[in-house]
Amino acid sequence: MSSVDLKIVLVTVITIAAYTLVANIIPQVQSDVPEDIAFGADVTSEELVDAGRSLYEGAGGCLACHTEAGGARGPNLLTGHDGEGAIGERCEDRIADLDCKDYLFRALVDPGAYVVEGYPPIMPPTDRTLTTPQVWAIVAYLESLGGEVTVTGDDLAQAEEETAQPAAAPNGEQAAAPAVATDDAEAILQDLCLMCHQMGDRGTEMGPSFDEVGARLTASEIRTKILHPDQLISEGYEPLAGVMPSNFGSQLTATQLESIVQYLSALR
Amino acid sequence: MNVKDLLLERKGWIVALLAVGGMLLLAFPLVAQYSVPEYGDDFPLIGSRAAVWIAAQVHLMFAAFVLGVPMFAVIAEAVSIFGKQDRYDRLAKEFTRLLLVAYSATALWGGLLLFLLTTLYPTLWSYLAEIFGASMWVYAGLFFIESATLYTYYYTWERWKRGRAKLFHWGLGILLNVWGTTVMFIANSWLTYMTSPPADVTPDTAPGMVQFWSAFANATWMPINIHRLIANAVFGGAIVAAYAAYRFLKAKTPEERAHYDWMGYVGNLIAIGVFLVLPFAGYWLGREIYEYNQQMGITMMGGFMSWLWIVQAFLIGVLFLAANYYLWIGLGRIPGGERFAPYTKYMLVVLVLGFIVWATPHSMIATRDELAAMGGTHHPFLGVLGLMSAKNTAVNLMILTTFLSFLMYRRANKIPTVSWARTGTISQGTILAVASIVVLFYGVYGYFVPTIVRIGFSVYQVLIVLFTIVAVLVIDVLIARGADTRGPIRWGQMPERSQYALFVIVVTFTWLMGLMGFARSGIRQHWHIWEVMRDTSPHAATPALGYAAQVISVCVILFLLMIAFVFWIGGLIEKPQLVPQETEDTDAAELGPGYEPSLQPATGD
Repeated sequence: MSSVDLKIVLVTVITIAAYTLVANIIPQVQSDVPEDIAFGADVTSEELVDAGRSLYEGAGGCLACHTEAGGARGPNLLTGHDGEGAIGERCEDRIADLDCKDYLFRALVDPGAYVVEGYPPIMPPTDRTLTTPQVWAIVAYLESLGGEVTVTGDDLAQAEEETAQPAAAPNGEQAAAPAVATDDAEAILQDLCLMCHQMGDRGTEMGPSFDEVGARLTASEIRTKILHPDQLISEGYEPLAGVMPSNFGSQLTATQLESIVQYLSALR
Repeated sequence: MNVKDLLLERKGWIVALLAVGGMLLLAFPLVAQYSVPEYGDDFPLIGSRAAVWIAAQVHLMFAAFVLGVPMFAVIAEAVSIFGKQDRYDRLAKEFTRLLLVAYSATALWGGLLLFLLTTLYPTLWSYLAEIFGASMWVYAGLFFIESATLYTYYYTWERWKRGRAKLFHWGLGILLNVWGTTVMFIANSWLTYMTSPPADVTPDTAPGMVQFWSAFANATWMPINIHRLIANAVFGGAIVAAYAAYRFLKAKTPEERAHYDWMGYVGNLIAIGVFLVLPFAGYWLGREIYEYNQQMGITMMGGFMSWLWIVQAFLIGVLFLAANYYLWIGLGRIPGGERFAPYTKYMLVVLVLGFIVWATPHSMIATRDELAAMGGTHHPFLGVLGLMSAKNTAVNLMILTTFLSFLMYRRANKIPTVSWARTGTISQGTILAVASIVVLFYGVYGYFVPTIVRIGFSVYQVLIVLFTIVAVLVIDVLIARGADTRGPIRWGQMPERSQYALFVIVVTFTWLMGLMGFARSGIRQHWHIWEVMRDTSPHAATPALGYAAQVISVCVILFLLMIAFVFWIGGLIEKPQLVPQETEDTDAAELGPGYEPSLQPATGD
C-alpha cells in the first residue's frame, strides 16, 4: 500500500470515527415501548403515579411538547402555566361540571376538544398508542402535580373490562363491533352466510352454493368475493350483482375472515 | 525476499488493515453491549434488528449507486452527443463499466435482506406480501429487464458509436434510468406504507381488505420518491468524484492527472449542484409527515429524535465546508481565479456562522432533572438560534454562498464580450443581495408570528433561493456566450489536499444516507406498520443515536470496502483511454471546462 492509499484510509476512518463520536457524546435518548400496566384493584396511588411519570417522561412522548419551560407546542403542565400552578392544582377548575380526573382523561383521549387558548390543536389522542390503563396512570401522575390523586383501582378495573370489549380503533373512535362474537368458521357461516348461500342441506339457495367451493376458487378469490363481492361475480349470478353486502370487511375481524376463507377453501 | 522485507514493503497495507480491523473490533463489542444481553440469540451476536438494518442499509447504498451513476452516465453521454465532446462519452462508459459489478452487489444484498426478513420477521413479510404481492412480481421482472438493458448498454458502446445508432444507444441509457427509477418507486411503496398506511387501515383490517392503490400511493410515497431520486444523483456524483480523486492521486502522467482532475470536478459539480435542492425535497417530506400524523412529526423533530438533526447539521456543515474548500482551491488552476480569492474568507465566515446556527440545539426532549440542570430546554441566549427560523435562514444563506463559489468558478477565466455584460453582472449581484435580504427578513419575522405561520415562511425562503439560482445562472450562461478567455483551465494542476476533500464528501454523504435511513425508519418507533402492526419482538424499542451511529458506521465501512473492490475489479476489465488532445471549443459554462492536457502542460502560475 502506498502512502496515498494509507492517507485515503486514514481520512475515511477519521471521518467515520468523528461522526460516530459526535453521535455518542450527545445525550442518548431511546424510544421505549410503553410498558403494559397490570395493576389490580388494590393498586396504590404511588404505584400509579410512578407508572404515569415513567410514561410521561418516556414512551408516552409527553415531554416532547409539555416541558417544564413551556413552549410553542403545549402548555407547561409540570410547574405552572400563566401563573396558575401545575396541572394538578388547576385541573379541577378547567371545565365546569368535570372533575379533575375526568377532565384529564378526556383531554388525553380527545385533546382536540380541550385545546388551551394560544396553542395549536396538534396533540394526537393518547389512546392511539397507549392502553386505557396507561392513560389512567398518566392522569394519576398529572393529578399528583399539585393536587390529590383520585384515580383508583376501580378506574383501571373498568378500563380492563372495556378493553375486553371491542377494541378502540386507532383513530380514537370505537371500532364497529364484529357481527358475530366467535372465530369459529362454522358458526360465522351459520349466522351470516347461510342466509343466502347453501352448504350441504343447510342454508338458502340464493347465491352460489358453498359445496366444493374450494375446488372452484382459490383462497384469494374467496377472500375477494367476501370483501368485494361485486368484483368477482360467479357465472350465472350476474343479475344478483349488488345484492351481497360489501361491508363484511368492517363487520368481521381479520381472524374471523381468515377462518372463513380457510374453511371454505377446504371444501373440495 | 525475506519476511522482514516483505513486511516493510507492505507496511502501508498492514497499517491500513490494522486501522480498519481495529475499528471493526471496536464496533462489535460496542454493538454487542447493547444487543446481546437484551435480545438473546435470535441472530448471532447483533440481534435480528441490527441484522436486517445492516442488510437493508448496505443494499440501499448500493441501490443508490446503481441508480445514481446511470443518471450521471446518460447526462455525460448526452453532452458527448449534442456537445460533440468525446471525453464525456469515455467518462460515461468508464462508469457504466463499474455498474456491471455493482449490480451484482446490489442484488446480493437485496437477496440477503429478503431472506433475513422472511426468516426473522415472517409475519410482517407475509402481511406486506399479501398487500403488495403483485407489485413484488413486477419488481422482480423489471430487475431482469433492467439488467438486460444495462448489459446491452455497456457491450454495444463501441458498436453503436456513430450516427443514429449512437442516439439509439443513448436511448438505452435513458431506458436504464426509467427501469431503475420504476424499480425504486415500487420498493418505496412498501417501506412508505409501513410509515404511513392509509387512515382507514386499522389493526383489525385484514391485509386482503387493504385497497392496493391506496396502500401503494400512500401519503409519504411520492415525497420519498423525489427525495431519493435527487439523493441518488447526488450520491452518484460524489462516488464519481471520489473515484476520480483516487485515480488523480495515483496518476503517473500529466494527462492522467488532467483527465481525473476534470472528472472529479464534474462529479463534484453534479453532487453539490443537485445537493443544493435536496433540502427542499426534505421540507416537502417533513411537511407530508406532519400532515399525515402530527405525533409522528413531533417525534421526528421535537421528540426522541430531536438530537438526530443536530448530528445531521454537523454532517451537512462538513459537506458545505468541504465542497467550498474544493472549489476555492480549484480557483488556483484557473487564470483569473486569483481575483476572487480575497472574497473566500468572508464566504467562509458565512458558512461557519451558518454551520453554528444550524447545529444549535433547541427544545430537546429531556427529563425534568435534565431540564432543571440546564435551566430550561435551551440556552437562554443561544437557544434563540435553535429555532427553525434561524436554521432555515442559515441553511439558505449557506446554499447561496456555495452557489456563489460555483459562480466565481465559472466566471474566473472569462472576459465577457456582450454589450450588456456589466448590467448583467450588476443584475446578478442585485438578485443575490435581494434574495439574501428576503431570506434574512423572513428569518427574523418568524420570531414574531405563530409557529404555523413561521413554518410557511420556509416555503418563501426556499422559493426565493431557487429563483435566484435559476435566474443568476441563466444570466451567467448568456453573458458567457462568445466570451474571451484569460486562458484555459490548467487541469491537473490541483494540490493533492483538494482530492482528500472529495473523499470526505463521499464518506459524509454515505454516512448521512445511513443517518437518514435511521430517521425514516425510527420515526415508526415500536410499530412495524404505524398504528397497524406493533413490533412485538424484543427489539421493539428504538435505539438511541449512539448505538444507531455505530450500526451506521459499520454499514458505511462495509459499503466503502466493497465499492473499493468494485472499483478495483472494474479497473481490471478495461483501462480507460485518455484523450490525447481535444480540439473542440469547450466552455466552462457547460457541464465541464475545456480539457487540453497536451496543449497545456503544467506551467503553474
